[in-house]
Amino acid sequence: MRLAIAEDSGLFRSSLTLLLEASGAEITASTASGPELLEALGTCLPDAVIIDIRMPPSFTDEGIATAAELRRLYPHVGVLVLSTYAETSYASQLLETVHTGVGYLLKDNVTDARTLMDGLARVAAGETVIDPAIVRRLLERNRTPNTIDTLNERERAVLAHMAEGRSNVGIAKELFLSPRTVEAHVTSIFGKLRLDQVETDNNRVRAVLAFLRSAGTGS
Amino acid sequence: MRASFLLPAQPNIRGSDTPDRQEGAGPQEPQLEWRGYHLWLTAAVTVAAGGFCALVQGPLWNQDAALAGANLAVSVLFVFTGLMLRREPGQRGVGWALMFAGVLRSLDFVDAWGAGSLVLYTLIFGAADRFFGAWALLRYPNPSLLRHQRVYLALLAGWMLAGRVLIAVTALPQWDGAPASSWWWPSLAPDPRLNDVVNYVVNAGEGLFGAALLVLLVMRLLRTTGLDRIVITPIIVAGLAAVMAAAASAVVQMLSTLNGTPNGVYIVESAVDLTVPLAFFVAVIQRTLLLRNITALTAQISGGADIGAVRYALRSTLHDPTLEILDLSAPGPDAAGPADEADRLVEFIRTEEGAPIAVVIADPVLGRYRGLFDAAVQTSGLALKNAQLQEQAACEKLEQVRASRARIVEAGLAERRRIERDLHDGVQQHLLGLAAQLTVAIAHSSDEVACGALAQVRDGLREVLAELRDLAHGIHPAVLSYGGLAAALEDVAERLPLAVRVSAPVTRVATAVEATAYFVACEALANVVKHARAGSATVTVCVDESKLDLQIADDGVGGVESRGRGLSNILDRVNALDGEVTIVSPPGRGTRLEVRIPCG
Repeated sequence: MRLAIAEDSGLFRSSLTLLLEASGAEITASTASGPELLEALGTCLPDAVIIDIRMPPSFTDEGIATAAELRRLYPHVGVLVLSTYAETSYASQLLETVHTGVGYLLKDNVTDARTLMDGLARVAAGETVIDPAIVRRLLERNRTPNTIDTLNERERAVLAHMAEGRSNVGIAKELFLSPRTVEAHVTSIFGKLRLDQVETDNNRVRAVLAFLRSAGTGS
Repeated sequence: MRASFLLPAQPNIRGSDTPDRQEGAGPQEPQLEWRGYHLWLTAAVTVAAGGFCALVQGPLWNQDAALAGANLAVSVLFVFTGLMLRREPGQRGVGWALMFAGVLRSLDFVDAWGAGSLVLYTLIFGAADRFFGAWALLRYPNPSLLRHQRVYLALLAGWMLAGRVLIAVTALPQWDGAPASSWWWPSLAPDPRLNDVVNYVVNAGEGLFGAALLVLLVMRLLRTTGLDRIVITPIIVAGLAAVMAAAASAVVQMLSTLNGTPNGVYIVESAVDLTVPLAFFVAVIQRTLLLRNITALTAQISGGADIGAVRYALRSTLHDPTLEILDLSAPGPDAAGPADEADRLVEFIRTEEGAPIAVVIADPVLGRYRGLFDAAVQTSGLALKNAQLQEQAACEKLEQVRASRARIVEAGLAERRRIERDLHDGVQQHLLGLAAQLTVAIAHSSDEVACGALAQVRDGLREVLAELRDLAHGIHPAVLSYGGLAAALEDVAERLPLAVRVSAPVTRVATAVEATAYFVACEALANVVKHARAGSATVTVCVDESKLDLQIADDGVGGVESRGRGLSNILDRVNALDGEVTIVSPPGRGTRLEVRIPCG
């Protein structure tokens, strides 16, 4: 897989490059900011780019702006935003700004090359990716009353994978089920949670995330 | 205060003082003249009158030196008091009356020479001093007499003149101690019995007029109020004594016509009469002493006082319960100014620039105590201006404290943001870099033992990274700077084991206000989770140009004590930005915390 990186911390950038190359990726560009990355891409496009969410000059959300610009310029390059913030609001903001082939992963995933490479492959394929740790935290939140308690164990596993951004086929592969079974579970989940069926994967992720963030509050 | 000759410590205004005072403020001028010309004039007139009065009594000094001395003393004191009173505004007439009364007093005893004409003078005009004395007593310190007082004096003069002429025409000269050879004596109808009757009637009538004067004087005292009462009380009291003495003297005269009046009676009357000029002295001293009230007033209010305290102080100092002072500095119902105060004394208090601060409306009687009144008004003005200045200073001080507290809050927040950024850009990135290299090392390690050990290090590193992330978030949530209060509060809500509905606008406000609202909401929600046993909570934020309103409500057990520690942290944070905190927490019916922070 061909990758480009925009990351302002030199130490992390070089370590990340090392890890990605060790995992079989080819790094076509390694830059310290969004504009530099856009400039470096130029002629030879990667399959996906890795963007740090917090970069100069303001050190807030340059990564999201860069992702949006990249999607506008190159509709088929996957965008994976890496962050140290586990707050869902960043992920939601990213999904609202970029609709396809986009992912939000915590930098902690450098301890798990498989999740990292899997996420990169999925955004390169146009899928949506949300960090499993964020989804896990939302699901494990001990709320009262908890609508999610009405789901059975299998449905909750399907819901978690939907929140992580997987397609029905992806979920079927992960859970060793047939796509048709997954589809039935999804319909059941949407019914129990009183969510409207949505067309695209991205919209489905956003709907599920919004539900998980606010579940139990009736909004 | 015109009678300032009693104050030797008065500054010598001419020559050494400030220009504006040299230009001659009216009230000051008489004092200056008094010190030279008037002092000598008074001394000269007093000595001349004294000499005249000693002379006219001539033979009396041999017959009864005590009586002559008493008369002379009364005359000199009356003349001196009259001269003094002429210096007071509007008291020229009273001064003349007292001087006449003084001179006429000694002149009454001119009959001691024995000449028939002088005896006749004493017989007819012997009570003229009483007439002028009554006139002075009734008038002082008013500028003119009232109608009934004028009527009284006219009747008195008429009765005395007509009665005494009647005594003369019904008598032979020798009956009244004149030489029998006084051929010109107007003995139109000499008859001893008739003369006795007329004598009784005339003297009894004069006694009745004396009694009427007593009544008039008591009426005056009762009708007079305020400062006037303080000043005239000694005069009226002395006047009452003098009138009673004169009446007693008239009665004795009436009873002892044939034997002649014993001189002792006149000596006693003179002694009592001496109290009248003394009382005028006391009055003058009283007026001077009133200035001491200003000292007391200054001590009472000069440090700065509100309009109510000034009103109270002015009323007691000037003995005028009707006095009113209206605040003109602030627009309000009072600011319309005095209405329908035509016959009242009105004085404005102004700032240096001439803008009116207040207006004093007082009894017109105080116009006679202009010096005292002006000094009191000036002192009040100082007090009000001082109070204004103090209020300004307090406001400025408060503003400084507010600004400094806001700066402290601001600095604290900036420090937290810096620490969070340092953690994020330094330690976190460094550890993440190490974690990435460790992952590579694990992937390339073929040694099973090494792999297991490295995997343990990696798991530990994950925990450290998670803790570090929570630590940085706790110090300052980056989402607050990036996404504002709405995003930050939603992230707080999704971490809580409780259904929390957040309603907040995306509008951004000042960093300090956002951060305070955020930390207050966190603290309040933590309290809800810990203590409220609530099923759900709502966080509502409303923002307009001037303030941010934050409300955290739950459906828990309520009964929150407003002095708990969690709440005191909230109070400290909100107070630092000059905000307000309200808590409504009835037992069993949930808790609602309302916070209002000014912004903009």
